[in-house]
Formats: sequence, C-alpha cells, structure tokens
Amino acid sequence: MTRRRAWAFGALLFALFASAALEIGIGPVSIPFWQIPGDTWAYFAGHRGLDAVVVGAIRWPRLAVAVLAGSALALSGAVLQAILRNPMADPGVIGVSSGGALGAVIAVATGLSARSVAATPLLAFASGLAVAAVIYRLATSARRTDVYRLLLAGVALSSLCSAVITAILDLSPLEEMQQMMFWLFGGLDGSNWTEAAMLAGVNAVALTAFLRLSFAYDILTTGEEHAEAVGVDVERIKRASLAVAALIVSVAVSTTGVISFVGLIVPHILRRLIGANHRPLLAASALGGGVLLTLSDLVGRTVVQPAELNVGIVTSCLGVPFFLYLLYRQRRGRDIGL
Amino acid sequence: MMDIRHLHYHRRLEDICAAFGPGEMVGLVGPNGAGKSTLLRAMAGVLRPTGGVVQVMGEAIHAREPRWRARRVAYLPQFLPDDIPFTVREFVEMGRYSHAPQGVLSRADMAAVDEALAVMGLVEHEDAPLAHLSGGERQRAAIARCLAQGAPILLLDEPIASLDIHYQLDILARLRALAEDGRLVIIALHHLELALAYCQRTICLHRGRLVADGSPGEVFTPALLRDVFRVDARPFRDPHSGALRLSVSAAIPSTPE
Repeated sequence: MTRRRAWAFGALLFALFASAALEIGIGPVSIPFWQIPGDTWAYFAGHRGLDAVVVGAIRWPRLAVAVLAGSALALSGAVLQAILRNPMADPGVIGVSSGGALGAVIAVATGLSARSVAATPLLAFASGLAVAAVIYRLATSARRTDVYRLLLAGVALSSLCSAVITAILDLSPLEEMQQMMFWLFGGLDGSNWTEAAMLAGVNAVALTAFLRLSFAYDILTTGEEHAEAVGVDVERIKRASLAVAALIVSVAVSTTGVISFVGLIVPHILRRLIGANHRPLLAASALGGGVLLTLSDLVGRTVVQPAELNVGIVTSCLGVPFFLYLLYRQRRGRDIGL
Repeated sequence: MMDIRHLHYHRRLEDICAAFGPGEMVGLVGPNGAGKSTLLRAMAGVLRPTGGVVQVMGEAIHAREPRWRARRVAYLPQFLPDDIPFTVREFVEMGRYSHAPQGVLSRADMAAVDEALAVMGLVEHEDAPLAHLSGGERQRAAIARCLAQGAPILLLDEPIASLDIHYQLDILARLRALAEDGRLVIIALHHLELALAYCQRTICLHRGRLVADGSPGEVFTPALLRDVFRVDARPFRDPHSGALRLSVSAAIPSTPE
C-alpha cells in the first residue's frame, strides 16, 4: 500500500504539472511550454508585452483559481463523506454549493459586492452554512445519516436556492443579470489574483484543520458508537468539519460559481487507489481536485473553439454518469468503497 | 473503582445502585430488553443519566470529556460494522485516540498496541484487513482495541453473542485473565451457563431494575430463573468437575398480565 500510495502521489503531481502547462499554454494566444517561465518572469518584472500579460494576468490566475477551487471541492467532499459516513455526499449534491451561490447573488443584487471584495464570499459562506445546517438536521436521525434523506433534502434545498436565484435574476437590470448568471453554471472567466489569494488562505486553514482531524475520520468509519467509545467527541467534530467544509465550498463558489461532482468523483477514485486512511486521502484529494478542475477547464475551453463551455458543464458531464453508476452499485447491494 | 448511585435513565433504568472494584469479573445478565446495553452505555458515560450518577475514580463520568472517559473506561458496543476498511493493526491503533488524537503514535502508544495484539493472540493477523477475519477473530480484534486504550475498566456488550463455542470460551478465558491482572471487567451475557462458569459476580437486570447482585450461585435461584428469565431451571453441582451448572428443562409459557 505504501508503494501504491507513492505511485499515486507521483502520478498526481505529474498530472498537476502537465495540466498546468497546458492550461497556461493553450488558448487564442498560444504560448509554447518553454516560454512560460520567461513570460511569467517578464510579467512580474513589470513588462507588459502581449505574451507576458496573457500569461501573468489571465492564464496564471485562472490556473490558480482552478486548482484551488478544485482542491476545496474535493477536500470538502472527502470530509463530508467521512463525517456523514456516506459515500454519496458531495457539496454540490447536498446543496451547500447552491446555498453559497445564493449568498453570492444576494451580495451582487444588494450592491454589497461593489463596496467590499469580502462581501461576496462572506454572504456565500453564511448561506452555504445555513443550508449545510438544515441538511444535517433533516438527514440525521437516531445518530446516523440516511443516504436517501440526505440526497432528497439536498435536491429540495438546491431547487429552492436556484428558484430564489432565478427570481433575483428576473428582477435585476440586464447587465447585473449577466454577471449573476455566471454563478449558476460555474466558470473560471475573469479569475484574478485576489480571488486566488483568498482561496489559498481558506484552503490552507481547512487543510490544516482536516489533517488534524484525520485520525478521527478514520475512526468514524467504524461507526459513531465505536468512535465515541474510544474518546472521539463525535458531535463536535462533525459540526466543526461541516462548518469548515461549508466555508471552503462557499468561498470557492463565490469565485467560480456552482461546480458539481468534483467532491464526489475525486475522493472516490483516490480511495480505491490509496486506501481509506484519511491523512493521505485528504492530501491526495486536495491535489486530485485541482487536477480534475484544471483538466475540465481545458476541455471546456478547447472542445467548441472559438466558443467556451463553462467548466461546471464539463464536470457535470463527467459527474452525472459517475453518480448514477454509484447509485446502481448501491442498488445491487455491493460495497461502494467507504 | 466504579460506583453507581441511584442511576435513572428515563423509564429504561430505575434506581440502580452498585459498586465495583479492581480484579472483578462481573457478568451482567437479564432477559431481552432488561436494560443491559443502556446500563453499559451509562456506565461508559456515553449516555447522560436522567438521575443519579456513575462515578469513576471519584468523578461523575458523564460530566467529563470523551477522551478522559476513554482513558479510564474501555467500552465495546454490541455491533461492529463488517465493512471497516482497515487492517487489524490500524483498527487496534484507533484505541489510542484518547492518548494520541492526531494519530501520531508515540513509542508508548505502539507498545500498548503490540501488547493488546499479543494478549488477544492477533500478532500473526496484524496486517490482515479486518474484513477478512472470521467473526471470532474480529471480536478479538475489537477487544484488543479496548485493551489498547489502557483503561483499567472494561465494559463489553455481548462480546460473545453469535460466536461458536470455541471462541466463546476462548474470549471469556482471556477476559478472566485480564480481571485477574487487576482490571475491572463487566460483560453483558446471554449465556447464563457461561456466567456461572467464568464470573465471580453476577448482577441481574429485569425491566430496568437491579434485581440481584452476588455470586452466580446466589443469583441464579430457581425463583429468579422462573420470574425473570421465565424458564424452569435449577442449579446443580456437576458431578465431574464440582462446578455449579444449570439444568434448564423448559420455557414457562407467557401468561397474560
């Protein structure tokens, strides 16, 4: 298992570098790989040639936001699956992402986002956390969370959030409406360094917190009663984890819009490759989420050139078949790898 | 070591009083629904009693934080999921959570895990996935996890239900050795015969009340067996071994109350 883990991490790092080089190199202005370091250096040294600006002001921030938002989604997916003891948990599927998007749209509609860069992520966090709390209450009974109740509660609250978002869009002036549409589909257009820095900050906090709790997540796979018996403060850890997961998802959603299924796909595949131990699993999920979102963005930017598909559409095209496959396996009563 | 004073939990436990010391092997018996699991959970501090108190080393256990409790009382719930994705050793290491909550085990933690694996005879299986073990071996791994906690008090909820006769006797003998080593071992048991054979003390619950507390010979009277367990039975001396045994002849039909 140790060797397999080393291979998996090596492969993830390689994939991250390769997809990063492609993400920066490919586009209307094509940048050969070997010129990327030079153009990057030129941009930060203050040169404003076309290649330097494309690399330093457009492609690098887009890559950074893709990697960090993907990490946030995959990490929160892995943690939600652990604390809910439920392999179908994903921030998009259970509605936390829609909750975050609603907060972001409210920030724009009320004009708060124009006053402060922190307003959008803060409001997104507040509403994402509210949705997470409601779902948790609804789906947990007698000390366990039921798969189907969780999914149904997620569907219901997602629809509600989408309906409110649509209502706000209908009542908004046209140019604001176009700005807000973006949260419904998930895209990386217009990513900037401020967003990347914000995401990096909350991701670092969350990853540290989650790694400290990774042993408790391992123990939770033996059931909540057993976890309590060996001294895990189950309720406290579940609440804290849910809040931190809602935080990183909401901040990610406030910069990229709703991107579903990254949190479902990545931890699942990695659990098969490197085992259920949460310390390596969480670290690998953070890497893998970044890779998957970057690759999805590459696909979205290249398949229908010169137009672009939103990255959320690409992840849904990957995620829906995967999700249905998991449901099918569960129906057959097979283990679903948790 | 453990002191239970006027313990109540809703209607399921009523006015339980008992005290236990080190070195005791106590069988907790009673028919289905008598409240055995509820009592063990309250003793482990997982349940907050609605009245009275369980004191461990002089402190009310439910008022302390989970890690404090786990270092003093090792509690094994009745059911263990059979799809745990870890090896035997990783599973037993989980017993050290109260000492190493981030999973970074010290040399002392490792030594405790090694000893627990050795005591339960699992050294050769330590790298096997838990899901590949037989039911009896899995139960031994669960008890090893309790031992790894390093707690002086062990509470086990039906650790031998659903095991074959070999593992039943094997596990009870190992638990008795642990009690002789100075631990307090309390096990909920359905097999009255085995309580007679392995426990020096038996406490009997019936409808949430403690109805008998003493040596198995004192507890298992024909009257108690009739009224509480609804069987026609009487204890006798085994002519071969001289041990006390039960002769159970029939279930007493339920009478409308």
